[in-house]
Amino acid sequence: MVIGIPRALIYWKQPHFWETFFEELGFKVLLSPETNKEIVEMGVKVADPETCFSNKVYWGHLLWLDGKVAEASPHLPKRSAGREMNEVQRTPPCAASRHSACDLIFVPRLKANQEKLEYCPKFFGLPDLAKILVKTPILTETFDPRKERTEKTFKKLGKKLKKDSRETKKALEAALSKEKELKEKEKKEFLEKIKSKKQKIILISHPYNLYDEYVNLRMKEKLEKLGAEAIFIDEVPTPLSSVVSHQSSVKFHWEFGKEIMEKIQEILKHETCPVRNRRSSNGVAGVIEISSFACGCDAVLKEFVEKEFKENKIPFLYLMIDEHTGEAGFQTRLEAFMDTL
Amino acid sequence: MKPVITFANFGNYTDIFKTLFEGLGLEVLPPEKTNSKTITEGVKIAPEMYCLPLKVNLGNYLSAIKNGANTIFMTTASGGSCRLRYYGVTQEKILKEAGYNVNFIIFDQKIGDIYSKIKEISGASLFQILKVFYYFYRKLSLIETLEKRAQYLRPREIEKGRTDQLFIESISKIGDLKKEKDFPKFKKGILEKFSQIQINEKKNLSRVGLIGEIYTVCDPTINFGVERKLGQEGIEVYREMNLSYHLKKKIFFKDFFIQKKVKPYLGSTVGGHGRDAIYEMLHYIKEDFDGVIHLLPAFCMPETSVRPILEKIHQESGIPFLSLSLDEQVAEAGIDTRLEAFVDVVRNYHHQGISNRLRINE
Repeated sequence: MVIGIPRALIYWKQPHFWETFFEELGFKVLLSPETNKEIVEMGVKVADPETCFSNKVYWGHLLWLDGKVAEASPHLPKRSAGREMNEVQRTPPCAASRHSACDLIFVPRLKANQEKLEYCPKFFGLPDLAKILVKTPILTETFDPRKERTEKTFKKLGKKLKKDSRETKKALEAALSKEKELKEKEKKEFLEKIKSKKQKIILISHPYNLYDEYVNLRMKEKLEKLGAEAIFIDEVPTPLSSVVSHQSSVKFHWEFGKEIMEKIQEILKHETCPVRNRRSSNGVAGVIEISSFACGCDAVLKEFVEKEFKENKIPFLYLMIDEHTGEAGFQTRLEAFMDTL
Repeated sequence: MKPVITFANFGNYTDIFKTLFEGLGLEVLPPEKTNSKTITEGVKIAPEMYCLPLKVNLGNYLSAIKNGANTIFMTTASGGSCRLRYYGVTQEKILKEAGYNVNFIIFDQKIGDIYSKIKEISGASLFQILKVFYYFYRKLSLIETLEKRAQYLRPREIEKGRTDQLFIESISKIGDLKKEKDFPKFKKGILEKFSQIQINEKKNLSRVGLIGEIYTVCDPTINFGVERKLGQEGIEVYREMNLSYHLKKKIFFKDFFIQKKVKPYLGSTVGGHGRDAIYEMLHYIKEDFDGVIHLLPAFCMPETSVRPILEKIHQESGIPFLSLSLDEQVAEAGIDTRLEAFVDVVRNYHHQGISNRLRINE
């Protein structure tokens, strides 16, 4: 049995976690390829015109897994490079065939994270909307640690796949340790990065905008070409004590909101934080926030993020991405921003 | 500094909010009625991507602040998942940054919190607060009764526009009424007047249900009077969403029952009144309505999340469905055109009759 996972939106909240989990359970996993033009176009066509750009991209990925994009352009998988290529090759029947490439598509209903903070409300309805959109059966489970222990939720998920609790537990542990391993690696890379002498730009956004290179128009690459070091807000280590966070003017109930505000506090207030120390050449030179068009949460978040940096006199640039964003326009604005630093 | 209170407009209920605060012995300066000018003022300082109600609210505050108000009462929803939760803090920040020195009182939609905030500012006793709120509730239910009456009368009245004339008159009179002991007599008088409106007992009227986000559905100044326009076209409008529906929902755990009903379509809340929209639409279909209009502020998170589901229900059942998203750039003419076209569709659907409808379903 092949389980499809759309490589968009919630996937980036825990990359590699779900793949590992299902593979450990003995299933084949089919990840949709990295976002490309066709996927975005398909998504935009079927999505509600007023939902956010990230959601539209997600629908594109779902349709790809459902076999619809493949039908429209059979050469699609070749465009993706590297690791994705391997994914696709591992399950060869997918691309060219007219039928759905996988037996199940996994769309979890993420309601709250381990700290009992809520996700974006648009995530709550994803499985229901996915059911309307695709023909492939949807595999789903509600993750809400406020109401149910996570282990139990996983057990239920395992049961749906006819696996007993022991197997599920083992797979969960493997997935968690893989995730931890990756985090460690990321941390090491981060410590390397901040030692560099280049101007550092902090990129603030949701993981699904930061790590999806097509969606953010290769922002990182562009910044590096302009001679700066791009640091994702994700990579900044979470503050050890929660004491820092309460200085912020607003308390978010959204997990990303709280996390981003905390990390900003960490960057700004904490003298020992390596990113701080602006007087020396390795301080933060500027901040760029990227947000998807029509993202409701970002409309709130941006107000407070901007305020923090304005107060501390750190240059701040706000960029909006959607299906019509042109690279040239982005490049010009980035260059202008770099010149002001 | 003596607090001079103002608040955001909320459809026909604005006037009774004024008397609520006055009853507590506070000085009140109600905002100017929402119009395109106040909306433009609000939009100037509001964040671009925020939803419409926040921009409208800011416009309301600005009109009152100019006249000397210095304290703003604003609700928040600490249990909710949508952006309403951050309305208070965001508005406070925006007004401060725009250079207005105002005091914000942000209260949660919980009895305890409302009580303590009101106690703090007015110093009224518990008995007085309860009394004022009871009076407020009586007025609120009268207004909602009148709204329902007007919905019934508009398509049937013989002298066009008579109902609306009387309705607007009565709303402002209810707002002005100070003494509670005059209320029963007053209520009787108003209902009497409404029953005197001459109507044509047409039997076969098309019926349309209004669903969607509470603020856009309830406020005729925001939705360009959709209810009135449909009524004058000879269509009977139904709307379940109103302020007391929202208040009662909190008390009677209505969410639990709604969730049960919408389960085949949506497995969880999506914040705001997302589930209610589905619930109401299913209800209207069951009641054999001839159309459903969905109103929402542009980019409203819960309503845009459920819209694909509403469209699916529309496809399954064949009931005419129109979704209108409203923002500061929507022009009345555009809405009118769409409504007119929709009215034609509704009438057709109505005349097709039940037997035809069954065939479509198959």
